[in-house]
Amino acid sequence: MFDTLRDLCCLDATSGNETSVREYIISKVKDYCNIKTDNLGNLICFRKGKNPTERKIMLDAHMDEVGLIIKAITPDGFLKFATVGGIDTSVLMCRRVKIENGIYGVIGCKPIHLSGDEERKHLPKTENLYIDIGAENRNQAEEFVSVGDRAVIVSEYTEIGDKIISKALDDRIGCAVLIDLIKNYDEYDYYAVFSVQEEVGCRGSKTATFALEPDSAIVIEGTTAADISCVPSDKQVCALGNGVAVSFMDRATVYDREYYNFALNSEIACQPKRAVAGGNNAGVIHLSKTGVRTLALSVPCRYIHSASSVADKNDILSAAHMARFMIKSIAEKKV
Amino acid sequence: MKDIKDMLFSLCTCCTAGKVREASDVAAEEMRKYCETVVKSENNMSFYGVLKGKKDYTLMLDAHIDEVSFVVTDIDENGFLTVSNAGGIDIRTLPSKCVLIHGKERTKGVFISTPPHLSSGETEYDDISAVKIDTCLGAKAKDLISLGDIVTYDVEPKQLIDTRVTGKSLDDRAGVTVLLELAKRLKDKELPINVVFSVVDGEELGMRGAQVATFGISPDEAVAIDVSFAVAPDVSAEEGGYISKGGMIGVSPILDREITNKLNTIAFDKKINYQNEVMGGKTGTDSDVISLSAKGVRTGLVSIPLRNMHTDCEIIDLADIKSTCDILEEYILSGGIMNV
Repeated sequence: MFDTLRDLCCLDATSGNETSVREYIISKVKDYCNIKTDNLGNLICFRKGKNPTERKIMLDAHMDEVGLIIKAITPDGFLKFATVGGIDTSVLMCRRVKIENGIYGVIGCKPIHLSGDEERKHLPKTENLYIDIGAENRNQAEEFVSVGDRAVIVSEYTEIGDKIISKALDDRIGCAVLIDLIKNYDEYDYYAVFSVQEEVGCRGSKTATFALEPDSAIVIEGTTAADISCVPSDKQVCALGNGVAVSFMDRATVYDREYYNFALNSEIACQPKRAVAGGNNAGVIHLSKTGVRTLALSVPCRYIHSASSVADKNDILSAAHMARFMIKSIAEKKV
Repeated sequence: MKDIKDMLFSLCTCCTAGKVREASDVAAEEMRKYCETVVKSENNMSFYGVLKGKKDYTLMLDAHIDEVSFVVTDIDENGFLTVSNAGGIDIRTLPSKCVLIHGKERTKGVFISTPPHLSSGETEYDDISAVKIDTCLGAKAKDLISLGDIVTYDVEPKQLIDTRVTGKSLDDRAGVTVLLELAKRLKDKELPINVVFSVVDGEELGMRGAQVATFGISPDEAVAIDVSFAVAPDVSAEEGGYISKGGMIGVSPILDREITNKLNTIAFDKKINYQNEVMGGKTGTDSDVISLSAKGVRTGLVSIPLRNMHTDCEIIDLADIKSTCDILEEYILSGGIMNV
């Protein structure tokens, strides 16, 4: 599973531009399930199991990642951009970026020697940042880049012991877990949706869920972990190495309480997500049509939405175990 | 240009900071190909190579091999490091940046970034000790890392459009590349004067390497080769030169006027790209201390325009390294200011 995760993280797929990830997933799962791509680009996979289920179970992971989109090219050949999804300015300043046609650039910043003490204390506004591809002027820049091109912040996938450092762990982790599930778990029928455009408002899941009409849904996500030295324990949300995080509530969803309790009381390593913050595809899934009973399983990620997110392999394995356990339990009407 | 690029990239792929000396060793190894005499300092990471000329008159060329870095000041039980900066670093550029920790083993780490749910947008970036490094090692960090260990940026150099390149420590591996390229060009030529290629440590902490190296070499004249600010959206034309428009010949009260004039004349006459950088006093380069060495040394300065200084996103144009070499080659072959 971790080789798959490495491959997935090294692909660049900002929201609305998920083709590379979709094609990779298709190549991995096509021998195990029926696949359909819908109008928005969601990949909807039906995994036939040994046993049918009375309840239609859907799993969801999103393929897209946060990134940048080129808005304009200045007369001097610098690129102005907008963020695609939420990216804090603090993880944008002075980064190397890769534009979709393979051109590299950097987000420039004023040399420390020339900036004043007060200026240096505060982040600039994202709209004042620019990408420098080394072009002499607009004409030369236009040979390589077009307005509307997407870009990602460059990162190198690194493993240190059980820890992984990479961009896009949110939510290639979910994709890797679902690929692994499709290849190895066939006890009951289920649907796996690899959705598009989560980072720009959970858009893909909305149409996929409408089409599928599931009874139950399990969202596999990455969530923020603030288990770092300078954060007090009540604000840490969840901690790496303590198992998959199970949500009772976030800013978009009040989760199915029975599913939550059932998962939390299982033998599988897990922890409650201790904050009512953020949101994910569960927000649109649980409100689809007449409503869907929904559970979110989130892998704790430090520095989420940066190019150097950190996750723990053991938590990813817990998420995979928990997904199997919940499919089985829902199919067998234990919950 | 390919030779210049390969040399620069091999220097920027490794580090010299604190007691880490890889880049210095790579540069010294290269210098040995061209100079019979290469002398390494016993006290720091500096070294110099010598090419003998006809006259007993020595021109010293200086560039620094050290880079801005960090030094570990605390290690906690969860594997997070506190660091102090060695050289000027903008703290705002650090969150989520990857680094190399030069401990018992070399390991990667990442500067922490504020999680979105705790980010108010009001955070003040005035204390580097608040930006911890996550080693991902947990309690094991204390076994592998010691106080005082060096931390450097972790990024490989990369080519951009045309001859422009990005990476860390182009400040001043670009200058070191000029020295190596000149040694290569001049090794079989008959030189009117001795040339000493002085590659020094400690510039980022106040030109310490150049101070002691120059005292030992005791040259008759010197030219420092460093980098300087290039115009960008947030750097005005008054604050810097233009990338791709040639080496910036320094003009300043502390620099020797004859050297400045001769460099300008050569560039103009030979139609080599150049520009002037005018400063009102100290230059912030090794030339400030070289000129004050012992009884004083007549000193000049050529700077390569560079964007995003002191970050891992520095940008220069290889063509500016080449044109700087072209000017200095002519300058050396014409005997510097020996007869001026």
